[in-house]
Amino acid sequence: MRRILLSTLAVLGLSAAAYAEVGGKLVLYTSQPNEDAQKTVDAFMAANPGVTVEWVRDGTPKIMAKFRAELEAGAPQADLLLIADSVTMEGLAAEGLLMAYPEADISAYEPGIMDPDKAWFATKLITTGIVYNTSAPVKPAAYKDLLAPDVTAAFMMPSPLASGAATIHMVALTGVPDLGWGFYETLAKQGALADGANGGVLKAVAGGEKLYGFLVDFLAIREAAKGAPIQFVFPSEGVSAVSEPVAILSNTTNPDAAKAFVDFLISAPGQQLAADMGYLPAHPAITPPAGFPARDTIRILPFDAAKALADEAANKARFTEMFGG
Amino acid sequence: MGDEIGAAPGMGPGLRSLFGAPLLLLLVLAVATVLFVVPLAAVLRLAVFAPGGGVDGFVAAMSSRSVQRALWHSFESSALAAALATVIGGGLGLLIGLGDLRGRGAMSFAILMLMTIPPHVTAIAWMQMTGPSSALLQAFGLAPSPGATNSLYGRDGVIGLLALQQVPIVYLTLRAALRVLPRDLAEAARVNGARPWRVMLRVILPLLRPALLAGFALAFVSALGNFGVPALLGIPGRYVTLPVLMWQRLASSGPSVLADLAVLASLIGGVAALAVWAQMRLTRAYGVALIGLPQQPLQMTLGRARPAIEVGLWLLLALVGVAPFLAMLATALVPTYGVPLTLDSVTLRHFHQVIHAQDVTARAFANSAGLALAAGGIVAVLAVGLGGLLRDRLAPGARCVMLLAELAYAVPGLVISIAFIIAFLKPLPGIGVSLYGTHAIILGAYLAAFLAIALKPVSVAYGALDPALQDAARVSGAGFWRRLARIDVPLVAPAAASGAVLVMLTAWNEVTLSSILWTRGTETLGTVIFNYEDGGYSTLASAMSVISVLVTLALMALLGRVGRSLPPGIIPWRG
Repeated sequence: MRRILLSTLAVLGLSAAAYAEVGGKLVLYTSQPNEDAQKTVDAFMAANPGVTVEWVRDGTPKIMAKFRAELEAGAPQADLLLIADSVTMEGLAAEGLLMAYPEADISAYEPGIMDPDKAWFATKLITTGIVYNTSAPVKPAAYKDLLAPDVTAAFMMPSPLASGAATIHMVALTGVPDLGWGFYETLAKQGALADGANGGVLKAVAGGEKLYGFLVDFLAIREAAKGAPIQFVFPSEGVSAVSEPVAILSNTTNPDAAKAFVDFLISAPGQQLAADMGYLPAHPAITPPAGFPARDTIRILPFDAAKALADEAANKARFTEMFGG
Repeated sequence: MGDEIGAAPGMGPGLRSLFGAPLLLLLVLAVATVLFVVPLAAVLRLAVFAPGGGVDGFVAAMSSRSVQRALWHSFESSALAAALATVIGGGLGLLIGLGDLRGRGAMSFAILMLMTIPPHVTAIAWMQMTGPSSALLQAFGLAPSPGATNSLYGRDGVIGLLALQQVPIVYLTLRAALRVLPRDLAEAARVNGARPWRVMLRVILPLLRPALLAGFALAFVSALGNFGVPALLGIPGRYVTLPVLMWQRLASSGPSVLADLAVLASLIGGVAALAVWAQMRLTRAYGVALIGLPQQPLQMTLGRARPAIEVGLWLLLALVGVAPFLAMLATALVPTYGVPLTLDSVTLRHFHQVIHAQDVTARAFANSAGLALAAGGIVAVLAVGLGGLLRDRLAPGARCVMLLAELAYAVPGLVISIAFIIAFLKPLPGIGVSLYGTHAIILGAYLAAFLAIALKPVSVAYGALDPALQDAARVSGAGFWRRLARIDVPLVAPAAASGAVLVMLTAWNEVTLSSILWTRGTETLGTVIFNYEDGGYSTLASAMSVISVLVTLALMALLGRVGRSLPPGIIPWRG
């Protein structure tokens, strides 16, 4: 036992030595909640003392809007993106804005969730389902339960204009034959609110201003474990899922440190960190945090990524016309 | 004045005179071109000539459901808020301006505070006070039941808080008008036996009608450009105004929507310009009619009602001015949002977070302080220069710049920031560097939007100077620059300083301009507070707001001290 421990420490020491070769500064644009972003960056910097990481946090659409504006100004600032969904990443890769990292070791992962061209790398599995306040009169089990007028009136969702996960959720739900755009239209007509990103929904439902919401799983399950009066539901129709991919931007001035950051996130310790923060890790060998059902029992709604990318602007415009803003 | 003397032989050779006022005008015009002409021209060019712009662009924008709704919401909320503010601000102005109340200076200060606390902070404070998780109401067991939507979300909350924010504007306009109200008419009516109510209704109010209308127009324009209140209260209530719609589109789609935004910006800029034009006409009308001789202001005795009115006014001011901030402080002190504030739960964790732990807040404090100081200093210098040109033959050039500054102050801040993005996003020709992402683009937007604030006190001070000083110096052979440096600058310096502090206050508190101009490294206080609240981190937003309000109060106290030696009318709550 002692020997195993020692050899593990030696391996860790070796890998730390390999990381320690990199240095300099990295700028990370991320959509992770502030606290999680700080923890991720702190853990990486502890493993790579030579690197300092500055990060900026905003919802995926907003952080991408900043990135686009800087690109147009000819002064892009970020070295790395860690954002909600791979659809956005596919778009960036097609424009040649991402730097592939062919040496990255993704052998431990199921092939389907990673980019075959190694331009971006899935780091987690984040699903969106329904959250409700435990004092709510109705316990919704399916999306259709949200259409009861009393429920809709106390319902809130993150806006696709501010959240990448909400964008994918909209694409996935409107693709379900029984729901479609009519589902969103009815929600809008009955007074459902679409505002901000997931943090705002959590605050509203936990604080009792709203009783029901769409929310990402980890926020709901993690805060409920801390005592927040909320409950997360995997609806019977299924959940939408994003993989919070990380990617290196082709304009990076510090590619070695950026690669070390990617290595760290997809390494076993990086994945363990994600699980410790309450996320479903992408790595199949890492035990999911408490509160999640077994991974193979989660039903994920399929969607057409290429179509989602092509229709992105039209979908958002349609949503905006319905919900205002 | 003094134009003939300007041609006197004492001026020296013509070449030298070219380095005087013409040089200064050239400098001022160059600055004005960068600050006003280039950005506004860029918006109009994009709105009219870009593909999808022009008439088609306007038709497309106007046929969109969300634009129609937002335009109507903007109009409705601004008009109703301005009407409410006119009633409340007008009433307060009459009571405090005419009545023999005690502590009128302190009352004015308290009313002005409503204006200096930034709208997004006011909105956050009121949300904390009235929501189901109100730490203050919970401490008294008065919080609304869970599931109750915050009653401030939506139309009524937006209108109410916008009105509150505009009350000081109407109040100030009315107090200024009362100061020059000829008292002979009121005295004549009273000598002839009219009762005080009759004097008020038949003499004073008709004389004040233009001032009330001007106050209404000012409040309307200011409410139209407001961003903090409708963004924080309107979005959750699905009551989106045009500036908020523009922000949402740019914040979530990036530069690809700039052409559409240019159309919307021209639309709302046009409405604002129209309102300013109307307000200027009204001000001119009452300026001619009402300039009386310098005299003791009119005063009415309130008699036995005085103590009751005083107590009522102070209670009202405490309710709207103090209670929300106590609620915000309570939220900043609880461990997480939703937990009641008790002796056991109280924590300074969030203050530690925003002061020590998070890099972004330290950057924001430094950026906002630096930008506010720079904006205040530069604007004061520009205002002194512009004022100095006003007595010269080149005055029309200076007046043009002043008019542009007034216009830039009146159009919604979001239009200014969108204009700056459109004009300065692409790398500058010649040097290949873009201003976007630098402090310079935010500073530029501050200078453009806030120059008018400092121009007002400085031009009042110039107007009060004795022209004989200039003439004496000129006859003695002092050139333009020497006269400016030795005579004008020392005499208008206090007014310029108070203008600078007013601009610093505004810049320290603003969120509208930087909300879309910030990038990594140039975050401002306003954007960080706004983003915390928008992202659901109310406790951190409250803690930062508390600190920023304390700094604001300190700045106002400083301004009061600077202003002690100034003529009345320069420091808003004095005189």
